Amino acid sequence: MMFKDRADVSRRLGKQQYIASDEIATVIYLAQALCKPILAEGPAGVGKTELAKAWAAALNAPLVRLQCYEGLDESKALYEWEYAKQMLYTQLLRDTLHNVLGDVGSLAEAAGRLAQEEDVFFSENFLLPRPLLKAMTSDEPVVLLIDEIDRADVEFEAFLLEVLSDFQVTVPELGTIHAKHQPMVLLTSNNTRELSEALKRRCLYLHIGYPTLEAEMDIVRLKVPDLRPELARQAVATVQQLRNMDLRKVPSISETLDWARALVALNARSIDEETMNNTLTVLLKYEADVQKARRNMGSGGRRGPANRP
Amino acid sequence: MDDRIIEFVRGMRAAGVRVSMAESADAMRAVEVLGVGNRELFRQSLRATLVKESDDVAVFEELFPLYFSAGGPPMQNAMEDLSEDEQEMLKAALQALSGRLQSLMDWLTSGEGPTKEELEQLAERAGAQWANNSQDARWVTRRMLQQMGMAHLEDQLRELMERLAEMGMSWEAIEKLMGIVEANREALTEQVAKSVGRQIAEQRANRPDELYGSDLMHKPFEALTQEEANLLRKEVQRLVTQLRSRAALRRKRGKEGRFDSKGTIRANQRYGGVPMELKFKRKKLKPSLVLICDISRSMLSVAEFMLRLTYELQDQVAKTRSFGFYSDMEEISLTMAGNQAADAVDGVMDVFYGRAPMHYATDLGHSLATFYDNWLDSVNNRTTVVILGDGRNNYNDPRLDLIKDLQQRARRLIWFNPEAPRQWGTGDSDMVAYAQLCDQVYMVRNLAQLSAAVDKLMAGA
Repeated sequence: MMFKDRADVSRRLGKQQYIASDEIATVIYLAQALCKPILAEGPAGVGKTELAKAWAAALNAPLVRLQCYEGLDESKALYEWEYAKQMLYTQLLRDTLHNVLGDVGSLAEAAGRLAQEEDVFFSENFLLPRPLLKAMTSDEPVVLLIDEIDRADVEFEAFLLEVLSDFQVTVPELGTIHAKHQPMVLLTSNNTRELSEALKRRCLYLHIGYPTLEAEMDIVRLKVPDLRPELARQAVATVQQLRNMDLRKVPSISETLDWARALVALNARSIDEETMNNTLTVLLKYEADVQKARRNMGSGGRRGPANRP
Repeated sequence: MDDRIIEFVRGMRAAGVRVSMAESADAMRAVEVLGVGNRELFRQSLRATLVKESDDVAVFEELFPLYFSAGGPPMQNAMEDLSEDEQEMLKAALQALSGRLQSLMDWLTSGEGPTKEELEQLAERAGAQWANNSQDARWVTRRMLQQMGMAHLEDQLRELMERLAEMGMSWEAIEKLMGIVEANREALTEQVAKSVGRQIAEQRANRPDELYGSDLMHKPFEALTQEEANLLRKEVQRLVTQLRSRAALRRKRGKEGRFDSKGTIRANQRYGGVPMELKFKRKKLKPSLVLICDISRSMLSVAEFMLRLTYELQDQVAKTRSFGFYSDMEEISLTMAGNQAADAVDGVMDVFYGRAPMHYATDLGHSLATFYDNWLDSVNNRTTVVILGDGRNNYNDPRLDLIKDLQQRARRLIWFNPEAPRQWGTGDSDMVAYAQLCDQVYMVRNLAQLSAAVDKLMAGA
């Protein structure tokens, strides 16, 4: 179920409760039309991963996710031989092996005959597909999410280049495996390190930043419908104000949503000083930030005696 | 249209954005898919395919309107709305005015702006051919407008109004006329600005690359022009990637390490205990760094590049603390942390130069004493201390005792000096004395030397 045009992208992502900006819709559509991976960059928590989920759901395609981390290597990303299973089979098949090798005279002959049967042990039966291989051998088109690529090592990035440009991998014992359907690929990066030029060249670039007030209102309304509109507006405005401050970690959309849910849970009527003081830690994750925000937001950082724990 | 896109790509390249052949081909395909009918869509498809770094988005947004838009908002013809009598009056009044602003008045009233050739002539007289960037563009635009006579326009218009009133034109008509003229003036200003911007971008694209990376790498820091420094700043990024992958390979290929029996047994469980993969214990090679930078005027450019390099290499280092000194020591690690490299460096410069008035003199001795009082805990036997400075101390006490003690506490004490050894010890330089106390001294006069020194630093740590 491919997208028909750009408007179709927005509409179907919208159905998955994902509000896509024009730019996101264009890039997704282009990715499909040009068969290119997307590299999405932006601060943490603005919905990059969410986009992949929505994309997959909108296409009604399975989502295959590869979470990157330092030390991730091919055997964890691509495939692995299932040694335990191989061992088990050798044990179980000992009798059969005995039959095969029963009448040989010399060691060389035994080794030769065993070599003929080698294929049995290096067949797809014993291949443990990891996300990348899974995405390629899938019978239907999938959305492949390669999350936080900036956390993986440079070597892994280089390896990924081959996979992303040709959509094929080589397993020495089996030969080259081509992708049955070209997966739609979304790479996300939090920009903790510079990615290589080569990788960027192969991708369409999408920068997802913090949304505007209106856009964020829409998101809150969609995801936390229980929050009263005027309170939602006040909350979003506060968050936007916080983003303009010089904080160590500014709150992103996911934090706005957490806060909105917290406000619903606490049954808050308005965002007054007390509510702020009690819930600011949902938004801000550093004590220094909390203090700074309290000072700047005019609550003065002085808690009244009633609030003192 | 394809030609225009190619020109645009050239313009982007000239402005320092890396755009590969593959990417411009992608841009073409994207435009084919989405068409050029919708300007916003067109912009997005070019942006997604050509710009791969958030820093370059600004360049794109600046250049895009210069290449893909009409020369500016259209101008209106003031004559159309006037009755025939009034038209006659206006013509007569215009003729009666002194001829100096003739062409400008014509453009403003007729709604026909200057032709392309006229604009180019004006631009040339205003010196557009020597302009290089958007700042210059503003300046050229201002000069062009001046040459057109915008400065005297107010007087002229007042005179025109008076004459028309004398001739008996109604006030409403005059006011309407002036409204149109005013709108036309704004449109003309914008047209001029756009044409200048485009001309400069094209000039830049057509200019042969006189200087590029490798030459600049060997040019001494103090001899860099502003422009070259900017180019070089971009180069740092690529350099860092190189340094980083070299560091990663070094670690991977390193043969050192003891046999790890526990790890080997664990790893080989799946082979039924037959040791097929051997594991070795490797020491964490990541160094911990303390960086002490001289931020005085003479050292500014070197310090900036040094900070940039180390900032970009933060992830290769277990712990970095950076300090800057001028007359006194300040910790700048926090300013550096969590910012984009450019902002971080600016932030540091702010800390030191933001405070007026500036009549400090470099005093390393005193700064070291401050360091000892406050931050000595940052140095232990695993720390590599790097001092970046010229060792010129303004005849203050060099505090060699502190340097000596620092060398003993730290794993290594390394000095980066932008001066050549023959200059050491001349004038107020205490470098000869300092050098004897350091484990190593590197000369870092240009980016090539600096990056080689940083690479050695990472390797030997």
